[in-house]
Amino acid sequence: MIGVELVKMVRRPRTWVIIGMLVALPTLVAVLLAVTDLGPRPGTGPPFLSAVLSDGTLFPLAALGVVLPLFLPIAVSVLGGDAIAGETQSGTLRYLLARPVGRTHLLLAKLVTVVAFVVIAVLVVAAVSYVEGRLLLGQSPATGTVSLSGSTLTQEQLAGRTTLALGYVIVSMLGVAAVALFFSTLTTSSIGAALGTIGLLITSTVLLGLDAAEALHPFLPTRYWLSFVDLFRDPILWRDVVRGLGVQLGYLLVFSLAAWASFTTKDIDD
Amino acid sequence: MTARWLTVLLTADALVVTPLAVEARPTSQSSISATDLLDRIHNSGDVAWSGFVESSGALQVPDSESFANLAQLLGERNELRVWWRNARDWRVDRIRSTGETDLFRRGDTSIRWVFESETATISPVSQVRLPDASDLLPPTLGRSVLQGARDNELVRLPARRVAGVDAPGLRLTPTERAATVGHVDLWADPDTGLPLRVELYGLADQRPVVTTSLLELDLDRPAAETTEFTPSERTTVNYEDSVDVAAAANAFAPYDLPLSLGSLASRDGEDPDAVGVYGRGPTRLIALPLRDRVAEPLREQLQASTTAEETIVGTVAMVGPVGLLLTYHNGRGYFLLAGTVTAETLERAATDLLEVE
Repeated sequence: MIGVELVKMVRRPRTWVIIGMLVALPTLVAVLLAVTDLGPRPGTGPPFLSAVLSDGTLFPLAALGVVLPLFLPIAVSVLGGDAIAGETQSGTLRYLLARPVGRTHLLLAKLVTVVAFVVIAVLVVAAVSYVEGRLLLGQSPATGTVSLSGSTLTQEQLAGRTTLALGYVIVSMLGVAAVALFFSTLTTSSIGAALGTIGLLITSTVLLGLDAAEALHPFLPTRYWLSFVDLFRDPILWRDVVRGLGVQLGYLLVFSLAAWASFTTKDIDD
Repeated sequence: MTARWLTVLLTADALVVTPLAVEARPTSQSSISATDLLDRIHNSGDVAWSGFVESSGALQVPDSESFANLAQLLGERNELRVWWRNARDWRVDRIRSTGETDLFRRGDTSIRWVFESETATISPVSQVRLPDASDLLPPTLGRSVLQGARDNELVRLPARRVAGVDAPGLRLTPTERAATVGHVDLWADPDTGLPLRVELYGLADQRPVVTTSLLELDLDRPAAETTEFTPSERTTVNYEDSVDVAAAANAFAPYDLPLSLGSLASRDGEDPDAVGVYGRGPTRLIALPLRDRVAEPLREQLQASTTAEETIVGTVAMVGPVGLLLTYHNGRGYFLLAGTVTAETLERAATDLLEVE
């Protein structure tokens, strides 16, 4: 079942259109930076964007910083929201369940598919932006890359930390995927499920800017998204990275269970 | 159906409630007296530690390039990583999602690293300087506000858990008429006396105007390499004669300030040069000469404040408990007087200053 769903996801043009859109924004940013040679002022803009003009090897990280706050979660919300609601909407859910496939198994296959999409999307964005960084922006210095703390990272250290950062970004989307899947089991509208998920993320972002909601901050899904930056400090600052992983795994567990409780007790009429 | 949803609720409950319950467990109270705790705090200067500090301030002091990060330090939330081997060997990183600004102290040398501009600025350490990130750390701020504290100004507060430590508390209520700080609440490690959390309140404030607290603490001595800065080949290294505008003025401006201003004695009884720091504990006043190109934009910022007032000696404005007075040109230049003192004290101090100069 999981294999079938994965193949279906990979063969769908929609998947690649979304990934194409995810790649388009960093590409536009790279071209603009290369043409104008004008980075954001220090302390402003997405992480690493002010540094890529002198070191293009950092552009995959800058690209993730560009797509992570908005584009990537929207893409995951759309795909996750469509997982069950889309089948219901198109009238295929009844036929899927008519096969000897348990609801829990189907739900798991849908979740794995959304996670696989996240992995593919993050890797494609990182790979394309790496090439763009090398071709359009500053060349990597032979002495190594400068960490946020001013020390020098060797190419091996940079590669290791970048891999950790990609893994962290993927895990950061697990909570979004689980929430979208849960909403998808509640409604017959894919757009409704996606909007519900995006609404939750917007609420989280708004509350993060509110001092009165400070007690809620450690539990908000968007709180630690950009903490992958801490992997490039020296020594690495694990504090928020660990907390971010914990929060995402918490959302994954609770909302996957909620999706399971909802879907396995749901009347399938359509 | 009920059992499945119950599983969901119990899981969510366990994930949210467990950390809150651990945090809310009762603290063990200490019987240490206020004066004993004060002594331990005074003697904690050599305690080595490392940790993570969060500070927040609500003071909208004028922003100026000449005053470095003062407006950010006092008016925003700051996250600081600290490695403190001793008072002459430490590192404080002010971290941001876009980079970090790090301060290194090695002996008589200070290094300031800014990631976004890839610059390291090396300058000599100065006794007289503007506040920087190291002054916002609970241990340094705590010891500073308690400097000169009198027994009748202190009362014990119940213990509070800070960075995993059950820390006994202390309240300092300044008795001086010049003070604009209502009280300072402080919690310290009972064993080492290291201040872990400091809250500073204005006279009529229900909420602190400045809070700084350790969120993580390690009392092992940090390794020597953590406080060492080795610039990469791409780093632009600048050498400055002075660490900031106050240190520069103190070293080069042609003034000799008096031993007291506005009834406040010079800090530590030292005879000031061109820049003077007066008062004790949380009642402090700094007087420094400013160049014309710094003074005039500053006056415009002060005049834009709702509390701004023109007096005989200059423009005065209060930013919470912080008073600022920029004198008029006295034929030789301008002076900025700033501190946690009343507007009347600032005016008296400015009058004293202009009479001398």
